[in-house]
Amino acid sequence: MRWRTAHQPRLTVIRALLVFWLVVPLTPLVLWAGASRWSGTVRLPQDFGFRGWQEALDAGVIAALVRSGLLGVAVALIATPLGVMAGRALGWRLLRRPALPSVVLLAPVVLAPFAVAMGLDVVILRLGIPGEIAVVLVLSVFALPYTTFTMRATYLGLDPDLEEQARVLGASARQARRRVTLPAATTGLATATGLAFLVGWSDYAVTLLIGGGQIVTAPMLIGSAAAGSGNDALSSTLAISASLPPLVALAVFTYAASRRRTAAHS
Amino acid sequence: MHPRLARLILPTVLLGLTASACAASGIPADSTSEKRSWSQITDAAKGQTVDLWMYGGDQQGNAYVDDVLTPAAAELGVTLRRVPVADTKDAMTRILAERRAGSTDGAVDLVWVNGDNFATGKQVDAWRCGWSSQLPNMKFVAPDDALVTQDFGTEVDGCEAPWHKAQFTLVYDSARVAKPPTSMSSVLRWAQDHPGRFTYPAPPDFTGSVFVREVLYSTSGGYGQIPAQFDQGAYDKLTPKLWGALKDVAPSLWRQGRTYPRDSVALDRLYADGEVDMTMTYGPATLTKLVADGTFPATTRVLPLDEGTIGNASFLAIPSSAGDPEGAMVVANLALSPEQQAIKADPGTWGQFTVLDIDLLSQSDRARFDALPASDVVPPLDVLSRDANPELASSWVPRLDEGWRRAVLGSGS
Amino acid sequence: MTQHPTSSPRSRGDRRATRQLGGARLVAPAVLLILAVTGTALGAVVATSLGLLPLVGQPRLNIDGFTTLAGDLRAATQESLLTATTATLLAAAIGLAIATVVVRAGGGVRLVIGLTVAVMTVPHLVGAAGTGLLLSDVGLAQRWSGISAASWPELVGGRWPWATVLELAWKESAFVALVVFASVGRHYADLREVAAVLGAAPRAQWRRVLLPLAAPALASSSLIVFVYSLGTYEVARLLGRAYPEPLPVMAYRLFTDIDVAARPQAAATAVVATGLALLAAVMALPLLRRLGADR
Repeated sequence: MRWRTAHQPRLTVIRALLVFWLVVPLTPLVLWAGASRWSGTVRLPQDFGFRGWQEALDAGVIAALVRSGLLGVAVALIATPLGVMAGRALGWRLLRRPALPSVVLLAPVVLAPFAVAMGLDVVILRLGIPGEIAVVLVLSVFALPYTTFTMRATYLGLDPDLEEQARVLGASARQARRRVTLPAATTGLATATGLAFLVGWSDYAVTLLIGGGQIVTAPMLIGSAAAGSGNDALSSTLAISASLPPLVALAVFTYAASRRRTAAHS
Repeated sequence: MHPRLARLILPTVLLGLTASACAASGIPADSTSEKRSWSQITDAAKGQTVDLWMYGGDQQGNAYVDDVLTPAAAELGVTLRRVPVADTKDAMTRILAERRAGSTDGAVDLVWVNGDNFATGKQVDAWRCGWSSQLPNMKFVAPDDALVTQDFGTEVDGCEAPWHKAQFTLVYDSARVAKPPTSMSSVLRWAQDHPGRFTYPAPPDFTGSVFVREVLYSTSGGYGQIPAQFDQGAYDKLTPKLWGALKDVAPSLWRQGRTYPRDSVALDRLYADGEVDMTMTYGPATLTKLVADGTFPATTRVLPLDEGTIGNASFLAIPSSAGDPEGAMVVANLALSPEQQAIKADPGTWGQFTVLDIDLLSQSDRARFDALPASDVVPPLDVLSRDANPELASSWVPRLDEGWRRAVLGSGS
Repeated sequence: MTQHPTSSPRSRGDRRATRQLGGARLVAPAVLLILAVTGTALGAVVATSLGLLPLVGQPRLNIDGFTTLAGDLRAATQESLLTATTATLLAAAIGLAIATVVVRAGGGVRLVIGLTVAVMTVPHLVGAAGTGLLLSDVGLAQRWSGISAASWPELVGGRWPWATVLELAWKESAFVALVVFASVGRHYADLREVAAVLGAAPRAQWRRVLLPLAAPALASSSLIVFVYSLGTYEVARLLGRAYPEPLPVMAYRLFTDIDVAARPQAAATAVVATGLALLAAVMALPLLRRLGADR
């Protein structure tokens, strides 16, 4: 179409700038991960090598990544369904007075981990809740604002009448939800699940203080590596290891989604 | 009805939860001396899992605990698990919370502490006491060693077992510093002559804090002039000169003293990048590896001071809420053994100085220490700790840190 | 349950009432969980700041926690607000740009999406470390740009929190982009076709179609970014100056102070930070409702 080709160069420039913006802060980490020696202020490492990866393996990165993954899955399992329900109620304006619940649903973002450490750890110890369960519950609470407001924005773009028409045509409430509304909300659902998973995956303070050291996750390794001098190769490698699995998961998901779409079209 | 009832139930539940947290723990710390025999303790320790919380930023330390100490503990029937923390203060937060909740099966069994954190725990009776003097390997520690009987002026009282000795050390790049200064006052003069080439971490960072105390010793005419325990009169008399010296040097510091590196890691980075020519550390054991892997320039040297520098020992402490105290005692004793102390002192392994008195060791153990290789960067402890100054009591530390922030950093109401 | 196809006022009212009760039931689990957890935490923090939960000594109601450090609190609040506002504006603008590019679905979009998700998976601690290595006086940017170290601006730990703002904006722009894209997603393609058929130029399409479509998601994600930036600790600690420090950094420093009597002051700082964030949320909610209702 006429306007699409005329628009191309400007869009390419903007796209290049955005790629640059997204990539640039990661560059030192990528370089460090491939460096075995980088002294002084030279532009590139003197020696390239796998020193950081060896150090990461010695530090127990694989087991830590597995633990991080399990924590992320646990948080997603709790925070996503609750967020979908709450997002539906907010987005489709099913509440007479949505202001108070909205403030409550936003509260965990307001509090931040340092406040959690100050109050909750003693209570949880007093109540005798096992550290692992407490961590999952608290992190789910931190993930809820993200899942809720993502799904709220998604539901705002969905027409509630479609579901109602399905009900009029004889579908049960659950069928209508599953067949009509949720398929239209797939992107939003995937984002919400991903955000909840990431909250569990990348948390440090709550895992440490409430988990009682039983759960040594990847961020805990990164945190202690970053607290020492001369650990740049190690922390960069840990950082990249911690970023790869969600990326791989996304790649698999996208591939599967596109396969499903082509299968549906054919 | 439904939502109205819920609105009543919730606040009640919340009040109850907060109330349960409110009641201060009435469980007293176990301050009685350990009455069991050592063989009883080792029997009780078999099969326990000891969680050792320690600073995880030192890869050599992590490797030593994982590869040397853990197998050795396994031979005694104790499973040792290392929990890495970015700062011992994170471990203290957990311990204090467990103390307040009155836990008896806490997640922290053993923790690597220094004087600051030990004093914090002592404030709330968080430590199990009366056990370390019963450790069999304590016989190799000199009984009159001031660094070991007192931790930052607080009596150890058998509440923690010594592990390493350390010495505050200034470090400089011999390629960039032509004539290294030889005393603290000449270090400050050197900083004024070389604007922007020196700085120190901001207290309350551990290293920045001890640097301020070093300068206090220098401006007060020696540590003998300062009462070991905090005294308001002495503080008012001695600190004006201290703040004056630090404020005078501030405009010549890095960034003209407008800001300071947040911690010793940030200062090390400035030094490694060549932005400043000197750095400092309270744990010189790390210097060997930092130079070997290229983080610090190869021309890095230790800067000895005429008047000596502050030295201290770091310890292993057992919280009163620990769930596996017997296992923790066994591990602490193992860490104190001559064999482990010698392995630990090898610069290629960790390089941490021993707390043992060489003269009290057997011939074969003494030979172990004599056979240790020398480090290229760090002199041996007897050289480094010549004229070692003792630490002030921990009651001085928060006052000096706060005073620095007000007088030099410019904070304050 | 059978539905009457008629739409008499009473049955419409009944349906609305059923829908609203259903709404309360939908929202209840999330709200209850949050109230239990955050209510307890907030209660404990407020009580500590008022001296009611001391670690040593007897509880005594007082406001020393707030008054002892009033000047520091003021400076810290200013620093926090400055950082959070700038970071939010930047993140919203760039996030919207990313979402626009992605939604246009031209060539190379997969790369942008992949990078955006990659940025989201990087924890803030790591992003801060990378930004520090990049923007410091002798960082990678300085080495590669050819500007001398002496004339390189003080981005890290300088008078203005440039490095902190840039790192927060960087990661949160990815968050904003994903949230906006998730809510706009499919609909834009169809609406854009319609607009094009009706003769709208691309810029008008963006302003008249994409922007209103994205507004609710943009607004809500910006609010989350602002409130998160008020409470973030790692980034400001690594990249900010020693004084004045933002509220969370000050709170953590006081909380881990050797002297446990500093706990009330730490809790007071946390209360101020929380109060600020709550205030921002409450002020922004009418705007959010209006944006949602406009559709």
